[in-house]
Amino acid sequence: MLALILMFFYIPVFLAFFWSFFLERPFGGGSEFVGLQNFRRVLSDQEFWRAMWRTLLFMVLAPGTAIGVSLVLALAADRGIRLSHPARNIIIWPKAIAGASIGLVFVFIFNPHLGLFAPLNDLFPGLWNPRIDGTDAYLMLLVAQVWNGIPFNFIILLSGLQSIPDSLAKAAAMDGAGPWRRIIDIQIPLLTPQLFLTFVLEFVGSVVEAFGLIDTMTEGGPGGATTLLVYKIYVDGFKAYDLSGAATQTALLMTAVAIMVALQFRLEKRVKYER
Amino acid sequence: MTSTRLAPAAAIALAATAIPAPAADIEFWYGNTGRIETAIQAACTAFNESQSEHQVACVGQGGYEAGMQKAIAAFRSRQHPVLIQFFDAGTLDLMLSDAVVPVQEAMPDVDWGDYINGARSYYETSTGDLFSQPYNGSTLVFYVRTDELAKIGATEIPQTWEAMIETARLLKDAGHDCPFVSDAHPWRVLEQFSARHGVAIASNSNGYGGLDAEYTFNGGLVAEHLNNLAAWREEGLVLLDQDTAAGKYNRAFNAGECAMMEASTGSYAAAYTAHGENVAIAMAPMYEGVERRNTLIGGGSIWIMKGHDDEDVDAARAFLNFLRREDTQIEFTRATGYMPVTKSALTQLENSGEMGDLVFATVELGVSSLNQPGNADSKGIRLGFYVQFRDIFKEETQKAFNGDQTMQAALDNAKRRGDELLRRFEQTYQGATLP
Repeated sequence: MLALILMFFYIPVFLAFFWSFFLERPFGGGSEFVGLQNFRRVLSDQEFWRAMWRTLLFMVLAPGTAIGVSLVLALAADRGIRLSHPARNIIIWPKAIAGASIGLVFVFIFNPHLGLFAPLNDLFPGLWNPRIDGTDAYLMLLVAQVWNGIPFNFIILLSGLQSIPDSLAKAAAMDGAGPWRRIIDIQIPLLTPQLFLTFVLEFVGSVVEAFGLIDTMTEGGPGGATTLLVYKIYVDGFKAYDLSGAATQTALLMTAVAIMVALQFRLEKRVKYER
Repeated sequence: MTSTRLAPAAAIALAATAIPAPAADIEFWYGNTGRIETAIQAACTAFNESQSEHQVACVGQGGYEAGMQKAIAAFRSRQHPVLIQFFDAGTLDLMLSDAVVPVQEAMPDVDWGDYINGARSYYETSTGDLFSQPYNGSTLVFYVRTDELAKIGATEIPQTWEAMIETARLLKDAGHDCPFVSDAHPWRVLEQFSARHGVAIASNSNGYGGLDAEYTFNGGLVAEHLNNLAAWREEGLVLLDQDTAAGKYNRAFNAGECAMMEASTGSYAAAYTAHGENVAIAMAPMYEGVERRNTLIGGGSIWIMKGHDDEDVDAARAFLNFLRREDTQIEFTRATGYMPVTKSALTQLENSGEMGDLVFATVELGVSSLNQPGNADSKGIRLGFYVQFRDIFKEETQKAFNGDQTMQAALDNAKRRGDELLRRFEQTYQGATLP
């Protein structure tokens, strides 16, 4: 087990950092130590910062929306409203679909000429076209990512809600607390461990999993509007044979994610696991 | 008991010794898919059946770029194949990689002069030696639908951009929504355009003169053309991928959305299937008053990779010789719509009397487009990290087409970012000389 982790995790991480200090030829046979030159180049590259900014925005919007929507759904399902049992089942299905397949389906749904918004385009020409408009494309990506994230979050949050003892809600109700009051003062505070878990997972997922969606839906376009950092690294490293640049950006991305996860775990100190 | 158990094993052992083992089992990696992959596999089978000495296993990689990625990984771990097909844009990266043996060095006895000029110049060294064997050759041509043109009374295929845009205006006035379609891919609007107009996109004759080249396309005819394209698109005369319902220029043409397009000779088969006799092709349009030069060869060529023993290289030679044979080339052309790349194959095709067949419709035009008189700037593209540059060019011009910046700003940005790539390439291959 340790050997596997070493082989598939620590060695690649180490190599990424190692290569970021060299100019590496794609086919090997001559790598030159250049010190911090790669970092200077990447950090002074506007495209890198744009991709970084898009990634950060995505890291906030996607988990935020995915968890928000799941929370609403989970609260509704927990209250046992009509049809909540079949809904619990159906909502889980999208989790079984791979990112690339979701991408293909959403490309069709959001097709400006044939898709869901086509009638809208007939009324207001040019209103929706993710192939031309960068903001539309970014939104499309966001919707697909959120849609993919909801099922898992829903399960986690629902199981969290259901493990909250009934007696608490009953006691609160006897004291005159309405459903909203009970959500805010009892359910959400007691749900923080699950909220924290989903947040960390969604957060890392939004950096990594978006790749399959971008590759099938937009290929980073139009005009680079959906080029998140993971996709840029892939393009630079594999399509453009810029191994040093890709390694440098990987090192920077890993550092950024590590810092944020560390911050999240500082936040975790405030999460109460005891009930 | 033991004897019955041993009998089958003995039989297998006997059978194994009875068949003469092939001298070498080698692999050939290629990137094409679909109909072309079928044709490549057919050529492999034909080779393996034609002799018993060598066996070639042809392995599809699912795309040119994927093939290159896998080759890089395989070479680094010493698992690479003997033969591999690469696409045009990766030429310089491979020439300097020290991972390949020039075909002309590996096979000095072959008459390499038999390859048509347009196919040679892209893949040859500064001293005129071929580095790789041209295989699937295509080039850019102009497609029109004669039935659509007839509706506005046009009988001639436009030869110039001026005539093309006039025709496009007439079509638009007659209510046509998509007169001309392109995807503004740099292969079409930059490389093929500059080559046939005899202008360079970078100094040092597009890099043939040395690694210290700089991009120059942000001024002159190329810049003018891209500004025109942007203006024509505003006017509704030129549509790009994203403006069509089909979402892709060739699908839009084949679906009947568009009346004219600039596309590879390789698109002919599908266009003919869609529109039959109503599809006509001509050489790509020129600006008035500019002398027509050759277009560049697209598609791929086959490279011999380093680090294999003599037996394997012998098998590779035999396979390359087989692919070069006239009849093999003609069969491949028939199945794929690519062009024959040697003069003798062309002559044999002409003599066979089949040239008039529709399956060979693009051959005469394509080859004559490749064989127009060239100059120093129409030889090809020899610029480092060129695949990455294509992405930059697409990204910047796309922003201009979407109205986020002017076309001139897009070209200036693409030049600046492209030059950074060239400098880094120069530094990465410090000490290496251009072959």
